[in-house]
Amino acid sequence: MTTENNKTLFTPVNIITGIFLAIGLVITVLRFTKGLGYVTNLDDNNPWGIWISFDLLCGVALAAGGYTTSSACYLFGLKKYHSAVRPAILTAFLGYALVVFALHYDVGRPYRLPYPIFVSPGTTSLLYEVGLCVFLYVTVLAIEFSPAAFEWLGMKKLRNTVTKLTLALTVFGVVLSTLHQSSLGALYVAVPSKIHPLWYSPYLAILFFVSSIPAGLSMVIFEGTLAHKPWHHMMDKTHLDEHEGVILGFARGASISLAAYFCVKLVAVAYDNNWAYLATGWGAWYLLEVLGFVALPSMLYAIGSREKNIKLIKWTSALTVFGIILNRFNVSIVAFNWQLPSSQRYFPSWMEIGISIFVVTVGVTVYRFIVSRMPIFFEHPEYKDAH
Amino acid sequence: MEFFVYHDYMMFTKSIVYVLMGLFVVGFWGLWAFMTSRDEEIHKMPEHHKE
Repeated sequence: MTTENNKTLFTPVNIITGIFLAIGLVITVLRFTKGLGYVTNLDDNNPWGIWISFDLLCGVALAAGGYTTSSACYLFGLKKYHSAVRPAILTAFLGYALVVFALHYDVGRPYRLPYPIFVSPGTTSLLYEVGLCVFLYVTVLAIEFSPAAFEWLGMKKLRNTVTKLTLALTVFGVVLSTLHQSSLGALYVAVPSKIHPLWYSPYLAILFFVSSIPAGLSMVIFEGTLAHKPWHHMMDKTHLDEHEGVILGFARGASISLAAYFCVKLVAVAYDNNWAYLATGWGAWYLLEVLGFVALPSMLYAIGSREKNIKLIKWTSALTVFGIILNRFNVSIVAFNWQLPSSQRYFPSWMEIGISIFVVTVGVTVYRFIVSRMPIFFEHPEYKDAH
Repeated sequence: MEFFVYHDYMMFTKSIVYVLMGLFVVGFWGLWAFMTSRDEEIHKMPEHHKE
């Protein structure tokens, strides 16, 4: 089979994507016909598993590039980062859309999705706050992303109308992100006896919010690095010229915000007087996370930014992204129920991992579809200098 | 270390936090100075030496 451009559809990437999607669809059918127990290792001790840890907690943290980039450009007036806004907004929009998509696997009954917001809002629940923020922020991101789609579809009037809302949407996006990035951490404040004291803190809300800033900035660098080669031909001169400046500027921001995150982490240990735990095996694991994936990347970003070492910064962004994923896994799985015997500890089934890979594959596929067609890495010729 | 009254707990742990906060402020200044030191060298350079 061939496309119009005479390119075969059976490329290695497409074949792997197809296999992951096919396996994911089969597991999806099993999940919704045979229930959670059939496809997961969840139980009464561990009602939340890898779908919450990876798809939701990591997905939301790594999608923070949307609000960090748009606020840098539109609120702080750093127009030199303008070319990074659309890719960051797209990543954030897809990230949040996939969070909602993946949540259906845990919650079940997708047709009841509007209930918590429109039918039966549980205003005393923290989960309601999370749900409301995600609902509102996905809507904001969809509107923020829509000018690219309207430009692609040639809908000038709609595009121009939405573009006028940019500043208000950015402010709204920052407020909503601050609220729900922190409220995801606040969820775990409710279970002080289940999380290891080194990871539990009354400051979890602040820790989740502060860590989302370097996570978002690093994800913009990381995603930009991955996209640079396959879509280089789609990038216009402005995007290519500004690319290095974006990386250096974001590395500086990530270094400072990682240092701030490191400080809050230490303050959390000091405030609860948990120093003694650092001498245990759990302490070694905690130190690995804090020193290896927070302090080290902060220093590497600083060195990379000082020496203008783009390669070092790109590798550091991968290290930071991994560190944030490690932290969310530690809080929600590794250090969760740490006092239980190992026989009762949770480890995901292969089908849970399969669904997480499926969700990421869906995201990558939609991302490839969009950036290959819409003006994400270039300015549409009809709207040049219209920002 | 064990704390028998809440006041002891607050006094001890908070005092450590205040010391840490002071160290962090100095640390941030150092980090920023380190990151931007080469920028100043570039600014000081004659125009024809800049990239």
